Amino acid sequence: MREDELARIDEEARARGISREELLKRAAVAGLAIYGAGGLATAAEAAVGTAKPKKGGNFRVGAAGGSSSDIIDGQDIVTNPDQARLVAGWETLVVFDQNFKITYNGLAEELAPQKNNAAVWTIRVRSGVEFHNGKTLGADDVIYSLRRLVDPKLKLFGGAALSSINPNNIKKLDNRTVRLFLKQKDVTILDALGQYVAGIVPVGYSPKAVGKAPLKQQIGTGPYMLKSFTPGQQSVHVRNPNYWRTGQPYFDQVTVLDFPDDTARVNALLGGQIDAAVQIPPAQVSVVSGHSGTKILESPTAQWTPICMRVDSAPFTDVRVRQAMRLIANRPQIVAQGLAGHGHLGNDLYAPFDPLYDHGLPQRVQDIDKAKSLLKAAGQDGLTIDLQTTNGALGQNEGAQVFAQQAKAAGVTVNVKILDSGAFYSNQYLKWTFSTDFWGTRNYLSQVAAGSLPSSPYNETHWPDAADAKFKKLYSEALQTVSLKKRTEIVHEMQTLEYDNGGYLVWGFSNFLDGYSTKLGGLIPGDKGVIPLNGFGNGFRTIWFT
Amino acid sequence: MSAAAARAGRVAKAARPRGISGFVVRRVLLGLLTLFLVSIVVFAATQALPGDAARAILGRDATPQSLATLRKQLHLDQPVVQQYTHWLGSFVTGDLGHSLVANEPVSQLIGTPILNSLFLMLIAGLISIPLSIVLGSVAARRRDGVFDHSSSMTLLGLAALPEFVTSIALVVLFGTTVFHILPPVSLIPPGQRPWDDWKELVLPVTALVLAVTPYIARIMRASMIEVLESDYVEMARLKGMREQTVLWRHALPNGIAPTIQVIALSLAYLAGGIVVVERVFAYPGIGNAFVEAVSNRDLPTVQALAILIAAAYVVLNVGADVATILVSPRLRTSLK
Repeated sequence: MREDELARIDEEARARGISREELLKRAAVAGLAIYGAGGLATAAEAAVGTAKPKKGGNFRVGAAGGSSSDIIDGQDIVTNPDQARLVAGWETLVVFDQNFKITYNGLAEELAPQKNNAAVWTIRVRSGVEFHNGKTLGADDVIYSLRRLVDPKLKLFGGAALSSINPNNIKKLDNRTVRLFLKQKDVTILDALGQYVAGIVPVGYSPKAVGKAPLKQQIGTGPYMLKSFTPGQQSVHVRNPNYWRTGQPYFDQVTVLDFPDDTARVNALLGGQIDAAVQIPPAQVSVVSGHSGTKILESPTAQWTPICMRVDSAPFTDVRVRQAMRLIANRPQIVAQGLAGHGHLGNDLYAPFDPLYDHGLPQRVQDIDKAKSLLKAAGQDGLTIDLQTTNGALGQNEGAQVFAQQAKAAGVTVNVKILDSGAFYSNQYLKWTFSTDFWGTRNYLSQVAAGSLPSSPYNETHWPDAADAKFKKLYSEALQTVSLKKRTEIVHEMQTLEYDNGGYLVWGFSNFLDGYSTKLGGLIPGDKGVIPLNGFGNGFRTIWFT
Repeated sequence: MSAAAARAGRVAKAARPRGISGFVVRRVLLGLLTLFLVSIVVFAATQALPGDAARAILGRDATPQSLATLRKQLHLDQPVVQQYTHWLGSFVTGDLGHSLVANEPVSQLIGTPILNSLFLMLIAGLISIPLSIVLGSVAARRRDGVFDHSSSMTLLGLAALPEFVTSIALVVLFGTTVFHILPPVSLIPPGQRPWDDWKELVLPVTALVLAVTPYIARIMRASMIEVLESDYVEMARLKGMREQTVLWRHALPNGIAPTIQVIALSLAYLAGGIVVVERVFAYPGIGNAFVEAVSNRDLPTVQALAILIAAAYVVLNVGADVATILVSPRLRTSLK
């Protein structure tokens, strides 16, 4: 690469607030040349090591799950296949890149707080972006989308993380610019707007119902337009001819197929009936990788399936019992057996992808003797307890079962009760004393808002207890702190509290295991995506048939 | 053999007093009573399941307010008896109700799956019934011969295998690993019918044929052996009739009577057992619809499908009893 090209790339990277490497990677992900036919395109392709993208074809992807309750909505999902449908048609203001970092590679060319005041944010969308019906994306659509996201009547999935948005205090500055005046200072607003469910919809999009808009009104800015949809079976999406990113997307058509049964999904991939299948069960990984014509795409996630102890319910009111449980767990063994090794270790903390994650805390290891003495001190030696679990995500039941085996060594009898999802999420959900649950990839503060505060919608452990009430204060402090250095200090203090006294036993994080046909180009192993298959090929636009 | 023969005898005895029409009427009424009881049992069973449709629909995202609203919308807040009578009232007038999950009438939701499954059953029946009758008869005719022994071994082996094992073996053999000649799963796109692409049907039909043929063929063989040893067959042979005529005109109609009962049971089994096969091949039939409805707590759909499968059992049993009487000369005459 020539010297002046490097300098230009550095300049571009600085302008976007990211490093040169990241810009190159991003260019590779996006599959586009920022400088036209310049050196960057070559560099981007070299970085991925794939041939030049080719246009055409009908890409058929087998999604896991799905039923007649499937929906299509630019801002919500019900079942797993709905994720694929959403990202094909809708885009967000900012996006998480392959390192789980927010980048300005979405619909907003600017999204920033006003001079160190995290309560006022300015959003400016790109010019020349069109919705599927030809309407130009503008400030009104952003305002409408944000108001719809936080509409309490709609109860949208992405709305919970945006609670600081005041729907009545959003100002339109010009045709492309909007200013948000939040209810309080909130640095996590960027993360919340980068969630894939925070899609930008046109003014008037399905105002009263979620997922009920008729086919013709399913309008977004995404790379594909909806052609047909049969809940429980499939949806067909066709290429958006006016898509704003030059050259993308590559497929003529994308078909998303529901596969509730794992075996059927794998068989369809092996038989060439579909071109990719998400969520390959660990036991079938060798079948897919050993088959000529299919490969496995393995990507780390920050998805976790914790064992949850209610800090306000005996015996876990005693912090020593919680600590003992965490010392009983042999984490490498749980990852090896529960996930067949396709995961990485947990340290009783969530959000390992967050730059604010404290990697300095020592990895917790099994210590049966210490666990026994803690239990004895708490008067709980020979403890017998039920552990409620369900097959919500890979690792949930598996982790519970391996843990129960390990607990025997400490004289603790754990009776694993595997419930069906209807029973698990019954009125007892979030009230079980000892249970499992599952969570997706999030940054630390967003996750705290979702599950670790009294105000959180899903706080299984009822953390923090009175002894750790300081945690709440630290959280609101962190939320208002724009300085990264200062915020890191506060967050590390919060993490130390959870690490020492928390109610979660986080034993590990599972990898995404997706299968794909070798005809497919553009997939990147190791992508830290929130949803499978590189976020379904970033809305099916960064993958192609070779 | 003897159990089926005894059943045929009982059928004949029960049928004697009022002739065949009285018999049919009584069986149909009993069948309706059975269906009514089934509907109560199914309703009670779905009530016993922890968690309700509102929970299943909202899943983890449920808040107390949203649950209450949805329960009200779905009439889940009414007493159980009222829910049941409400459902039964509409059911008898032909209204299967509205799906709690899919936001469309149950009849619309299960229409296509029923058609798909019926077609699958029909093809499987059309192949397996004649096939097993011929296999059984020929084996009986050549008793202890090479064909008899080899077919018996094969059929016993197949009968011992659960259908998901044979299904998966078929997939591995023809779809994914050994040969790549047939689609391993039956992806029937919406708007298409299963008969539009026969290739998609081959594996599921084969799996069902392999599941039911052994039973019918074994019964057919046993029953034919008994008939072939009977006096009237010997008489026919002594009269100098051709062996073909003896076998197909005289022995078969008598030998088939007990087999009809087994065929009916096998077809009824197909109606329920199709669930497993449909699941393996992702075939969009009632099996998959049923599994999904149960996990979603979609009561009207569960009820409708359960009643449907129970009705298939009842109809097939009544049909088999009538057919048994009609084909056996002995029973037929005893009714007059």
